[in-house]
Amino acid sequence: MSPVEPILALGQLFELDSTLITVAVGAALIGAVSGGLGSFAYLRRQGLVGDIVSHSSLLGIVAAFVVSWMVTGAGSKSLVVLVPGAIIAGVGALLLSREIQARTTIKEDTSLGLMLAIFFGSGLFLLRWVQRQSPAIQGHTGLEDYIFGMAAAMTRSDLAMIAILGAVSAVVLALFWKEFQLFTFDPGYARSLGLRTTLIDTLMLTLLVLGIVIGIQSVGVVLMISLLVTPASAARQWTKRLGSMVGLSALFGGVSGLLGALISASELRVPTGPVVVLIATAIFLFSILMAPGRGVIARARTRRRAAAALALGPPNTEVR
Amino acid sequence: MMRFAPRSSGPGKGSRDDSGPALEIAGLSVAYDAVPAVWNASFDVAPGTLMAIVGPNGAGKSTLLKGLLGMLPRLAGRVRVFGRDPAHDRGEIAYVPQRSSVDWDFPATVLDVVLMGTYGRLGWFRRPGKKERAAALEALQMVEMDEFKKRQIAELSGGQQQRVFLARALVQDASLYLMDEPFAGVDAVTERAIVMLLKRLRDEGRTIVVVHHDLSTVPDYFDSVTLLDRRVIASGPVSEVFTRARVEETYGGRVRTALPGEAVASVTDQDAPADEPR
Repeated sequence: MSPVEPILALGQLFELDSTLITVAVGAALIGAVSGGLGSFAYLRRQGLVGDIVSHSSLLGIVAAFVVSWMVTGAGSKSLVVLVPGAIIAGVGALLLSREIQARTTIKEDTSLGLMLAIFFGSGLFLLRWVQRQSPAIQGHTGLEDYIFGMAAAMTRSDLAMIAILGAVSAVVLALFWKEFQLFTFDPGYARSLGLRTTLIDTLMLTLLVLGIVIGIQSVGVVLMISLLVTPASAARQWTKRLGSMVGLSALFGGVSGLLGALISASELRVPTGPVVVLIATAIFLFSILMAPGRGVIARARTRRRAAAALALGPPNTEVR
Repeated sequence: MMRFAPRSSGPGKGSRDDSGPALEIAGLSVAYDAVPAVWNASFDVAPGTLMAIVGPNGAGKSTLLKGLLGMLPRLAGRVRVFGRDPAHDRGEIAYVPQRSSVDWDFPATVLDVVLMGTYGRLGWFRRPGKKERAAALEALQMVEMDEFKKRQIAELSGGQQQRVFLARALVQDASLYLMDEPFAGVDAVTERAIVMLLKRLRDEGRTIVVVHHDLSTVPDYFDSVTLLDRRVIASGPVSEVFTRARVEETYGGRVRTALPGEAVASVTDQDAPADEPR
């Protein structure tokens, strides 16, 4: 019995059909993984890096589809085929960008933007070409869903792949927790302690890429960055330690993914990405307004109180 | 006043290798890209010394620390810490980076940050436990920050942030301390407290090298000084090295600060802001 079975059985009690449950569980898992891993991208200000990886992966996805057609005679849209292509293209774009930065005077944002233009542009071009080859290439319909995401296209084997990659990310995160924490906060000090910072950096980047590529089917390459960064920035408002931030961010991402997939898969049949992202944004807006201490309302209240206290007499000077 | 908790390792840890210097730098050149920021620097630091590294903006003071820690590539030169290559033996060195080098809005408590000082010793896969927490609390007591252990670091003042960084280095219980501008942006009370702590560490036999900005306090705070302007102008005991001629050579002749022994009112070096390109 696969681990998916009990969930399906539970869902059937509530008269939900198994496709919908697959989609909902998958989207929730994707949201949780991206939300958790996105915390580190957010704290390291690597949002742009994540955006380039996800946009660039479109080229890899379409290329992997074409390769599978050339090898087997039929294009495959299984994640098992497409994810390696996405990883190669995403990481390739990133490495090329770093190479440009090392060899020229071009700055990080420009070189990343250049890679986005080249890889995403080529991806769109190749996608259009594939679509024009009909009927020679069978099964390309739906490939364009990777641009804005279509969680409804998720199969049981896709779900298994997402679950495995999600579990691997969680284990790596747990094993290297203190290294990731220290490297994110103070890489120079980490280096001074003799930690292998290049290895830590590579591991964190690998996790980020994994988190991105498993989410692409559900959210799409264009909006994937939002699922990485938005739950993290919402979670940051409520927490004061890294552990609770990552946990809450995963929860926010999971809820966004779940609700987004359910709404998108319902009669509306809109792309999943925009719906998921709008829900995550709603959570973020609520957090930035309402969070105690850091929220807009709490800060305005603190300022008003301080101003009132000032009108009464000199402020209490804090003991340093 | 500072309270000093007894160190578990006892004094004199740094003096176990009395035969040689605590820190030995020979012909060290460090560069960003192709332009050397530190050129052919050579000096020794004896065990149990409190040394200042002084020089104008862009003199390569921070770069020197980063170069000898291996954070920046060395073009040439040799670094020895108690006679050994620091690349293979990090346990002896504790580094206090510039306070402004990190984002203090990171989600962590004061205790979380101080515990990071134990990560080098712990190695892969091990989390800090009771022993590490006790050591972190002891270090926080030494800098009088134990009441703030649960405080989010974003809520600290500049002086408190600096003391948290010091506590993180104290937890390492190292023999050689390398500090980058520990007095930048802290108030006078905190500065006095930090100086007393540094002298206390020195008296325990530890060696402390501090990138420093305020020429007027050099004789008060430090035993020895290295004058740096990309190359080493002079290095040695303050009484021998810290002369007007040499300081002016270091600063290109634009020093208005009164140096010790001169019958002029002491003025802080206002020309030198705390920031330096990294």
